[in-house]
This record gives sequence, C-alpha cells and structure tokens, in this order.
Amino acid sequence: MIADITLGQFFPGHSMLHKTDPRVKICLIIFHIVLIFTAGNFFSLGLVVLFTFLGMCVSKVPLKLYVKGLKPILFIVVFTAVLNIFYGTGEPLVQWGWLKITGNGILNALFVSVRIVLLIFTSSVLTFTTSPNQLTDAIERLLKPLSKLHVPVHEFAMMMTIALRFVPLLLEETDKIMSAQKARGADMESGGILQRIKALIPVLIPLFVSAFRRAYDLATAMESRCYHGGEGRTKMRVLKLGKQDVFILGAVALFLGAFLLLNLWLPPAILR
Amino acid sequence: MAFLEVKQVRFSYDAQTADAREVLHGVDLEIEEGEFVALLGHNGCGKSTMAKLFNGMLLPTAGKVLVGGLDTSLEENQLPVRKQVGLVLQNPDNQLVAGIVEEDVAFGPENLGVPPVEIRRRVDEALKAVEMYEYREHAPHKLSGGQKQRVAIAGIIAMETKCIVLDEPTAMLDPKGRGEVMGTIQKLNREKGITIVLITHYMDEAVQAGRVVVMDEGDILTSGTPRQVFQQVEFLKRHSLDVPQAAELVYRLGASGVKLPEIPLNEEECVAMLRRYLAGRAGALS
Amino acid sequence: MPVLETKDLTYQYGIGTPFQKTAVEKVSISIRKGEFLGVIGHTGSGKSTLIQMLNGLIRPTGGQVLLDGKDIWAEPKKIRDVRFRVGMVFQYPEYQLFEETVWKDIMFGPKNMGLSENEAKERAMEAAHFTGLKEELLEKSPFELSGGEKRRAAIAGVIAMDPDVLILDEPTAGLDPRGRDVLLAQITQYHKARGNTVLLVSHSMEDIGRTADRLLVMSGGHAVMLEETKAVFSKGEELEKLGLRVPQITKIMQELYKMGCPVDPATLTVDDAFGQLLPFFKRKEELR
Repeated sequence: MIADITLGQFFPGHSMLHKTDPRVKICLIIFHIVLIFTAGNFFSLGLVVLFTFLGMCVSKVPLKLYVKGLKPILFIVVFTAVLNIFYGTGEPLVQWGWLKITGNGILNALFVSVRIVLLIFTSSVLTFTTSPNQLTDAIERLLKPLSKLHVPVHEFAMMMTIALRFVPLLLEETDKIMSAQKARGADMESGGILQRIKALIPVLIPLFVSAFRRAYDLATAMESRCYHGGEGRTKMRVLKLGKQDVFILGAVALFLGAFLLLNLWLPPAILR
Repeated sequence: MAFLEVKQVRFSYDAQTADAREVLHGVDLEIEEGEFVALLGHNGCGKSTMAKLFNGMLLPTAGKVLVGGLDTSLEENQLPVRKQVGLVLQNPDNQLVAGIVEEDVAFGPENLGVPPVEIRRRVDEALKAVEMYEYREHAPHKLSGGQKQRVAIAGIIAMETKCIVLDEPTAMLDPKGRGEVMGTIQKLNREKGITIVLITHYMDEAVQAGRVVVMDEGDILTSGTPRQVFQQVEFLKRHSLDVPQAAELVYRLGASGVKLPEIPLNEEECVAMLRRYLAGRAGALS
Repeated sequence: MPVLETKDLTYQYGIGTPFQKTAVEKVSISIRKGEFLGVIGHTGSGKSTLIQMLNGLIRPTGGQVLLDGKDIWAEPKKIRDVRFRVGMVFQYPEYQLFEETVWKDIMFGPKNMGLSENEAKERAMEAAHFTGLKEELLEKSPFELSGGEKRRAAIAGVIAMDPDVLILDEPTAGLDPRGRDVLLAQITQYHKARGNTVLLVSHSMEDIGRTADRLLVMSGGHAVMLEETKAVFSKGEELEKLGLRVPQITKIMQELYKMGCPVDPATLTVDDAFGQLLPFFKRKEELR
C-alpha cells in the first residue's frame, strides 16, 4: 500500500531534538548536508557518519523506522553505486572488454552510496522530530525577510501546511477509488504504457473531483475560522532560542572544528 | 433582541435568475443565546444554506441576517460575526487544517491574533472540553470520524464563539461516533451555555434539542418543542423526515383506535407508555 | 452448494513490521445461493476487509475463498472474472463516477467484461431501471446529478455487470430518510427479481432487520454469529457486549414479551409488530 512510506513522516516524541527550535534544526541540517558532500577522506566521512548516527540516537525514534525510510531510495543508491564502480579513472583492477573496475571507482561508489544514505537519514532526523507545522513555521520565519520584497512567504507556508495535511488523505482516497474501479473490472496491472496511462483516467478524474470538493469545504472551514491571510496572525508556539538550542549549536561548532581539521589537513581519499 | 435573527431572508445561488433557483423563500427565524435548536429537513430543503447564512459565509439575496445585532452583509462585520458563530461541516476530513490535533485547534485563535500563552490555555481547555486532550499530538488522519468531528468542535470553542452551527455533523459517522458527537454538543450547551444550531435529519438527535424547527422547500414549516413537533407523525412522513419505529408503531395503533396518550420520542418512553396502558392506566408521559 | 465459502480466511497487515495487525482471523463461513445476508459489526471489526477478500480485491494472507467451490486465487490472472461475478459497491460509491455521461459510466463494468456496445447498453438500461434512475438523466454528466441520483448511478454501474453475488457496503450512508427507504426498497426488489445473492453491510439495525434473511456478526476479526436474523436479534445481551444493538421495534417487543404480552420477542418490522399488537390491544380496549 502507498501509505507505507515512512519518509517525511513526523514521529511524535519528547527527545532533545524534538524540543530543539525547528529553525536551528533546519540550519543545522542544511549545514550538515554540505559537510556530507565535502567529506573527502575516511576520517571526515567517519565523523559525519558518527554525527548522523548520534543525531538518530538522540532523536529517540526507533532506528527501524529510519531503515524503512531508506527502502524507496535503495534502488537509486544501488544504481548510482554500480554506475560509479564502472566509471572510475586510473589503473583497472579488473577488466572485461570496455568494462573496467578501478580502485578509484570502488572508492567513488562507496562514498556516493554512503553520502546518499546519510542524506536520507539526516533529512529523516529533521522530519521525524519536527511536526509538519513546525517545519513550515520555521521555513516561514527563516524566509520572512523575503516578504519585504513582496514574496508571499506566509501564503507559501500555509499552502505547504495544507498540502502536508492532505497528502495522506489523498493517498488513502486513491487506494479506495482504485479498488472501486478494479471492482468494476478496470485493469491497471497489465498492458503497455499507453494502456496503463489510459487505465488511470477512471482513477484520476474522481480523484480530481474529490480534491476540488475537499478544497471547497476546506476553504469554507478556514474562512469560518476567521482566516484572513497572514496579517495580524499570531502563533501558539513562539519560536525562541533556549538553552538547549545553544547547547546543540555548541556541540555542532565543536564537530565542525574537528571536521575541518580532518578534512583539510588529511589528504583526500578520492580523486576528482 | 434575539442573538441570531433571520429576517425575511431569500437566497439564490445564482442572483441573476433569482426566481428559477431560489433556495430560501423569505425565512424568518430567531434564536436566543444559550438555546439548543435542531433544524430538521431532508436533503436539498435549504438547511445547509441556512448554516452558511448564520456566519456570513453566504449572504442573503434579500432580507437580513443579524448576529448579536450585527448585519452579516456588511464587510466590516465579517470577522466579528465569525468570531461569534462557528461552523462545523459534515465531512470530518475536510475541515481540519493542520497535521497535528493541537495545532489545528490553535488555527482559529491564531487567526484572531490571540497572544500565544492565551492560545495555549484555550487549546488545552477546548481539547479537554471535547475529551480529546490525550490525542493532542496525534495526526488527524489517524483518528476515527467521531474524534475528528470533536477536534473540529474544539477548534471552534477555542475561538470562544458564543454559538456553534453544525451542518449534519454525524451523517458520515458510525453509531459510536454519532453518540460521541451528540454527547459533546449536549455538554457544551448545558455546561458552557454555548448556543447550538444542529442541522440534521435524524429524529433521535433532534429530540435532544430544546426546540425543533422543520424546513422544507426553502420555508420553515413548523417550530416547537420536540414533543410538540414529533406528535405530528403524518406531517413528518409527508415531508420525508425520519420517524423512529417506536413513534410509527404507536401512531399506527392510535390511528386504528387504540387510545394511547401521545407519540413516544424514544423506545424507553414507548415501553413505559405501553406498560402503563396494559396496567389499565392511560396517563400521559409528561 | 453454497455460492461463496471461506475456509480459515485470514488477513494480516504489515507482516514482519512492528505494526503487524490481524484484521480478519480464521473466518469460515458459507453463504447460501440466493440469500439476503446482512453483515454487522462495529468499525474495525474486520467486515470491510472480509468483504473485499470475497471478491478478490484483497488477497488473503491465509485460508481460502471458494466461489462455487473453486478457490478464487487458484489462477490469479483470472481474478477479474471473480470481480465480475461478485459485484462490490463501496461506501459512498458516487466518488467513483468519472465518465462523460451516466450511460457511459454504467457501461464501464459491462464493457470491461468484453461485452459489445449493444449488450452493454442493454445491461445499463436494465440496471438504471432497477435503481430507479430516470431515462432523461442518463444523457447527463454524472457530476450534474443530485447526491441521491449519483449514488444510484454508481450502484447501477455494479448491477450492470449482473453479478451472482452483490455486496453493498453501507449503501444508504449519508442519505436522508426518504432516500434511504427508496434505495433499500429497490435493493430488495432487485434481489427478488434476480434471485441472486445480496450481502448488505449496515450500521442500521432497523434496515438490516427488515431486509436480511440471515445475519453475519463480525467482531475483533472473527465471525461470531451466522444465523437467521431473528435468532441473532433474540440475543440482545450478547450483541450489546459486542457494541451492537437490536432494532428499536425488536427491543420494544422484547420488553412487552417480558411483561407477559403474547408477542413474538424476535419481531423485526413495525408491520409485523402492529399486526400482533392490534388484536391484543383491541381486546383490551373492549374490556374497558
């Protein structure tokens, strides 16, 4: 079932990371992702692995869930890894015809796949520990300076909130409509691409109709609850940097120092 | 002056061809603060239109709707009116905005610019009032229909509205969910004095109200206490309203000459009445 | 021979994950040819999963579904044929409408069966007739119809496949009392005219009481009862333990029976109750 996808889902809890200011989390995650991609040798890569793992543990979200979130991406990981193995430069270790495997290729493949996995885990740490609303809230506040330039930041954030709320609902509905059409003999599992696309019409049309109906209801409900844009709006959760946030920032600063040390002073493991 | 006043209201979804598709034909209705009114009628009788007129989501084509003396048709009254009259819709899935229960309940007060600490207090209080406090951190799509409707109600109480209009809030729920929602509505009316306008086509829900207003074809046909209104079984049937089996049985016995005092509102009353009758006493119920 | 039979039918969600849950557990029932079977059970009792396994929309994780004695999953490629023979009307079926005209929508099922344009049209006509859809509505877009009409068009779309077994999941949900009564009458009429098997899932004991020959009671993923409707509704206390109840009229008659009235404590309809009570009360009246 489609609803099995865990990637991007919130996992309510009370860990230190759950309580951290979402703005801090977003900045750190972006920063961490940059580091993941600049880690050039085993020591710095080891350090980002360690740091990611630490984040996963501190989040108190079952590690199984992280692994589950990896599933849909696994194909991409394997695919890029295989590609990298064969596209290395330097002396071939093994060679069949034009296919060759080099030491550099293996290293590249290793680094790429570790990086992708880390990327998924890191973003999972953010989405598991931050409710969708906190997330959009934080984005709204981080981007607030842009509203001076007439960028509709609030509207964008509200759209995201609503999208996040309705995605599971629409997925469920797709399942239901598909079942209803299958019960009338719709065949969605066989035939060529063109046939399959055609077979989707009986699902897509009802889905669109229903999405519009829902949108109409939602607009009524929002207006009834006095929604009138971002002007004069307050928030239940006020984002304020606390001791915890400072502590986390400190820990990260330390990590950064160590990372730079290892990454710059030790030679890179892969050639570019 | 009544809290809600509907004066000679006509409504048409297409103002240009007013007569052809007019939904309401000059409706008059007054609802006092603290009342619990059930608006009864079959699908398409104009009762859902009424719901949206009460909080200014729709504006009358002719006539006036006053909320606490404020004319809903004036632009500047829009927010003050919606602050006083909240609306709960039929489909529990479509009216929750946020992905977390408590953040959804906070949506209304946030729109009103209430200070954060006060929002927190109101949200907790509202969730406790509908008995959903333990679920405050859950995602709405994992709740049952009855629970979702109660969250929607909490979202309105948190705005500290004086009146809640519910447009067939139980139509999509199972019996358990229906019971939960009706219990919550009753409690809010009795304990918090919130004015309730319940739009429904279930008689067993309407009997819980203080007053029942019956609509058909865009007009109000009759209005009175549940006991007064539900004596008219023939009339209810003619306007395709729900007649519970207990009422139907007693009505048919009465029509065939068995002298039973009145139409019972539920099965307990029916049994009690028949018991008394069989014991040789013909005493009325009330 | 029963038309549908299940043997130790089981369905588990999320096998091997921490969310593993058994929705239906070892259900062995047999559904008689031509009967009107009511299915009751509160939300989460497993009834939706069960009915979806009966027409092959959900593949069981254990046990079998036998249609005319044959395992429906013996040849997974032919599962569509099973779906044509066991028609399924979902809750709020109007959300499945998609064609340009009501006609075409009703013909969707028959055409998937491989019927010719003419045959499909004939089937659609008949189905529209059974559900009381007026002919002038058939040329309209399904999205122009009223709520009740949409519901009927959607049900017609399943009836048009002329299934041997028709399963309806709460067909009257959200309709007003008149819409509900008319639709139920049409379903009973259809059942009588066709003589096929009908399964009706409903939360309304009153509706079930006046339509079903037998009742299947689901609870916690198990089939806890499968008996004549009267027999099930005479077990009021057991039903209450399962979060269910008996029809209002049955409850009243049971109370009268306890008081010593000569009535049938398993009366299911107002008509029946009235017929029993009137002579009795008339005599009382004469004694006065």
